[in-house]
Amino acid sequence: MDLDTYKKSWKNQPKETSTVSSVDIYKMSHSKSSSVVKWIFIIGLLEVAFWGGLNLLVPDDYMKVYTDFNLINFLNYYFILHYVVIALFLVLFYKNYTSVSAVENTKTLMNKILRVRKTVKYYVYYNLGGFVLVTIIVNSVMFSNPEILAKTMNPEKLNVDINTLLSVTLITQIVAILIMLLILWLFYKVTYGTLLKKLNKNYIELDNLEHLN
Amino acid sequence: MQKDLETKFLLDFEQNQNIVHKICRMYTTNQDAHNDLFQEVVIQLWKNYSKFRGDSKFSTWMYRVALNTAISLYRKSTRSIKTQDIDDFTYKIKSSEYDDTEELQLKALYKAVHQLNDIDKALIYLYLEDKPYKEISETLGITQVNARVKMNRAKDKLKNILNP
Repeated sequence: MDLDTYKKSWKNQPKETSTVSSVDIYKMSHSKSSSVVKWIFIIGLLEVAFWGGLNLLVPDDYMKVYTDFNLINFLNYYFILHYVVIALFLVLFYKNYTSVSAVENTKTLMNKILRVRKTVKYYVYYNLGGFVLVTIIVNSVMFSNPEILAKTMNPEKLNVDINTLLSVTLITQIVAILIMLLILWLFYKVTYGTLLKKLNKNYIELDNLEHLN
Repeated sequence: MQKDLETKFLLDFEQNQNIVHKICRMYTTNQDAHNDLFQEVVIQLWKNYSKFRGDSKFSTWMYRVALNTAISLYRKSTRSIKTQDIDDFTYKIKSSEYDDTEELQLKALYKAVHQLNDIDKALIYLYLEDKPYKEISETLGITQVNARVKMNRAKDKLKNILNP
């Protein structure tokens, strides 16, 4: 049967029997959106808070170790820079979020949603990169001063082999970083994977058109 | 000012709400999902209404926002289609003035449309509503040539589902 026959049935279809009243439309229009962008925005904010707050959770005693290695100034400058970067990311993130509008054409809308997601992605990359870089710098400084390190790691002066102690410290750090990266990776897979699965699929479907000619 | 805008929006929406119902029926397969998507469309329409300048007809603006919401903003996927749901769901479009054959055709059409991907659903909606290619390309953000190519493919897919 020709599609035009179906089109005729489509055109003649009766109006929805259960129409929504003005009162209900009013209520709906003032209810909270649960769109994909809204969720990306909320999760993004939580991530900014998580990474931004992480440093605040470090106890002061812990920082004492870095004083012994003259690293405290370096770390303070790094934290100042870090918070400036977080502020810039927040501005960018919010700007991208507010630019998303359902009035755009479908492709532009998808691009803008993906841009909001990308801002969060770069923010996470920045944090992970910064974290790994600082860890490498701090460790290089600490391990190039093994005497101070041994004293700091073994304040009770217990009878342990210095090399074993340093190796254990290094391995523990590497394992901890790897576990943390794995947890974060799983977290992103689950949250953004679920949120953006449909959008990515539709984007590919629409974008494929551009490569047809 | 805000009150006037709200009143105007409610009036515009009430008169044109059937457009949103039709789109929701294409993109969802049960009443809960239908209501959910419908509500999200209303939210998006109201959110952008103050920027609606009337350059295009309200109905045109409305179906664009509704399609965009269904394709990109609405979170839930329409993957799991239960036949039972569709039968329960489409009974509402039964009407005494509506021809039996046409009713069966319409049911078959919706059932077939549910098997298409989100972009093809939009294309088929635009075809069924007789929208010109210029408007289709502007709505989806693709060139007219690509819109034609994609439309033909979507129509072929639909034909194959309807007449296996």
